[in-house]
Amino acid sequence: MSRDGGRAPRRVAVTSPQTRVALAGRRGPPARAPRLAAARLVGAERERAERIRRRQLGRAVTALLAGAGFLVGLPLVLHLAPGLDAVRLLGVPVSWLAVAVLPYPVLSGLAWWQLRRAEAVERGAADGAHDGDGASAAGARVGVDDAPRGAP
Amino acid sequence: MTALAVVPVVLATLLIGARGVAAMRTTSDFLVASRRVSPALNAAAVSGEYLSAASFLGVAGLVVKGGVGALWYPVGFTAGYLLMLTLVAAPMRRTGALTVPDFAEARLGSPLLRRLCAVIVLVIGCLYLVPQFTAAGQVLTLVAGAPYWVGVVVAGSVVSVTLALGGMRAATYVQAFQFLLKLLLFAVPAVWLLVAVGPQVRDRALNPVEFTRFADTTPVEFSLDTRILLTEPVTVRIDGREPTQLPAGPRTAEAGSRWEFPAGAAVPRVAGAVVPGSPGWQRPLLDAGSGGAGAGEDGSGDPAGGHALLGTWSVLVATALGTMGLPHVLVRFHTSPDGRSARRTAAITVGFLGTFYLFPAVYGLLGAVLLPELYLSGTTDTVVVALPSRVDPGPLGDLFTALLTAGAFAAFLATSLGLLLAVSGAVAHDLVPTTLRGLRLTPLVAAAVIVLLALPAAHLDVGALVTSAFAVAASTFCPLLVLGIWWRRLTTRGALVGMTVGLVSSAGVMAAGLVAGLGPGVPALLLAQPALWSVPLAFTTMVAVSLRGAPPSGAASAMLRLHLDETRLLPAPR
Repeated sequence: MSRDGGRAPRRVAVTSPQTRVALAGRRGPPARAPRLAAARLVGAERERAERIRRRQLGRAVTALLAGAGFLVGLPLVLHLAPGLDAVRLLGVPVSWLAVAVLPYPVLSGLAWWQLRRAEAVERGAADGAHDGDGASAAGARVGVDDAPRGAP
Repeated sequence: MTALAVVPVVLATLLIGARGVAAMRTTSDFLVASRRVSPALNAAAVSGEYLSAASFLGVAGLVVKGGVGALWYPVGFTAGYLLMLTLVAAPMRRTGALTVPDFAEARLGSPLLRRLCAVIVLVIGCLYLVPQFTAAGQVLTLVAGAPYWVGVVVAGSVVSVTLALGGMRAATYVQAFQFLLKLLLFAVPAVWLLVAVGPQVRDRALNPVEFTRFADTTPVEFSLDTRILLTEPVTVRIDGREPTQLPAGPRTAEAGSRWEFPAGAAVPRVAGAVVPGSPGWQRPLLDAGSGGAGAGEDGSGDPAGGHALLGTWSVLVATALGTMGLPHVLVRFHTSPDGRSARRTAAITVGFLGTFYLFPAVYGLLGAVLLPELYLSGTTDTVVVALPSRVDPGPLGDLFTALLTAGAFAAFLATSLGLLLAVSGAVAHDLVPTTLRGLRLTPLVAAAVIVLLALPAAHLDVGALVTSAFAVAASTFCPLLVLGIWWRRLTTRGALVGMTVGLVSSAGVMAAGLVAGLGPGVPALLLAQPALWSVPLAFTTMVAVSLRGAPPSGAASAMLRLHLDETRLLPAPR
């Protein structure tokens, strides 16, 4: 998991650890959080972000509906079917298994499914494969002070 | 003797913490370990941090006290990470913020909002940290007979010194290590217990019989003032005095008093608890008040009651949405190198937690058979640690008690580390920005304050405090994050008003309920578990107020940027 993710190497200021200690000690307040709004997204990059957000939202909503349906529905089933307390699997009441064991594989499965779909959105949008929009690969521009440091 | 088991855990924590010192140079190093943590390591650290004393000891205790339905709590905890994965992890990481208040300012550019968020972090941090330290004190008292304050002070010192030395880098390794430790120390004794109790007890655990008569002469030490109902006259020996005959009817057992019930005596009922093994106990739904506030006054529970479903849902909402808004967990996602690995971290965490949460049921079910009297004394939280010596009074039982004590200590150390880090960040990074040196000193001061708060809290209801921390997080940070990440029209005023409404309706209402006392029924449920209405209220307020104003300039850009992945030319802002 390299943090530069294959980007071209960029120039960085090299400082010895001692200097950094000294600077950190007297620089006063630490760096504030970046203002995200400082760099406006424009043009193709903005369209691409819009597209990713819309798709991610759609997939997030289906995953949430699935999860919520399961977690709202399971107590409801147990409430409406008290007979499940008497049904036993390997000696354990099925209704106990439904609380103590069943939710975990289901939740893990949902998490895995949603992870794959969310990453697929980003891959798809990055390739421009599902976009029909070649501009997104080259036309990125950003405004004001946040110059594209890592642009190849 | 068993108390010595804590020593290796403490030493390992300090040693691993010391490793982080060499590498720590900047604020970013301290708060987020310079963002170089891989998803699997980070997921172990998230799980290690998240599995607190409430998970290690509390869930099994709740099963003894409240029934099989208490197992919905860990389901909600785990579901919280599915929400985190789906809605928050990746975009949140891409803000480049160091703390949750940082996120608020980065998104909306308002220093006032940042300060409100910092205050909420402090509220949640205190509600959550005090019970951790309290549990440390109680466990050491139980296994070693040490005075309560010793455990509290030991926990406070170890946590603050580790943090002051190593910051988040230290915390990451410590917590990852402690996750493995906790899983091992929880799973191995569980398997041993299952084997050692023999087929008869296993059968009784699966076919529980209502706890109506004491099988042997049973001493019960009440930890809190407890209202009990004697169903028939009973002869008890109180505090070692001459046995006295008490008439049937309601009574109050004073905190700290020791009642010895003879074999065959009828078990009194306790307000706010379900009798272990009763039909209501066996229903896999949460009764109206077993989360803290009081089931039926006679403690009979109400198996067919209509509130069981409502109670279960409200606990699921509070725990899942609350998990999503816990500041010490959110900050962990900032230690991932990018949004994508933050998302993977969340996914792996769902699996890790799911594995751990398979085991509390074992302790809870065995505890209800072997130590049902804990439900009288109000010390059900000790069931995990007390079980081994009940099963095997010999050295093997001692060994497993020692292992479980070490695991429990690891649990509150890891959680306290993360919480104290979040609290320190809120004070020294958001409220009063300071230098790295100041930041390193803050945990010492913060821990001292928490220790002072925890010392008089020995007899507080620990579960209620943690529940309220979740409700506050669900009603404040959860709407801020969800709307901040997905809704471009969110305004600063909307966020301010919405979070204030959420804070008041969760923390305020629960405080009022604690002061005023609660009866049974739906209103009490809604006061004790306000998340079911306070979260929608906070969301609605935030949306309604935002719609009446205009979002700050560039807010749409700020939101969209969070959804841009890192594979592209535009680097994520740091």
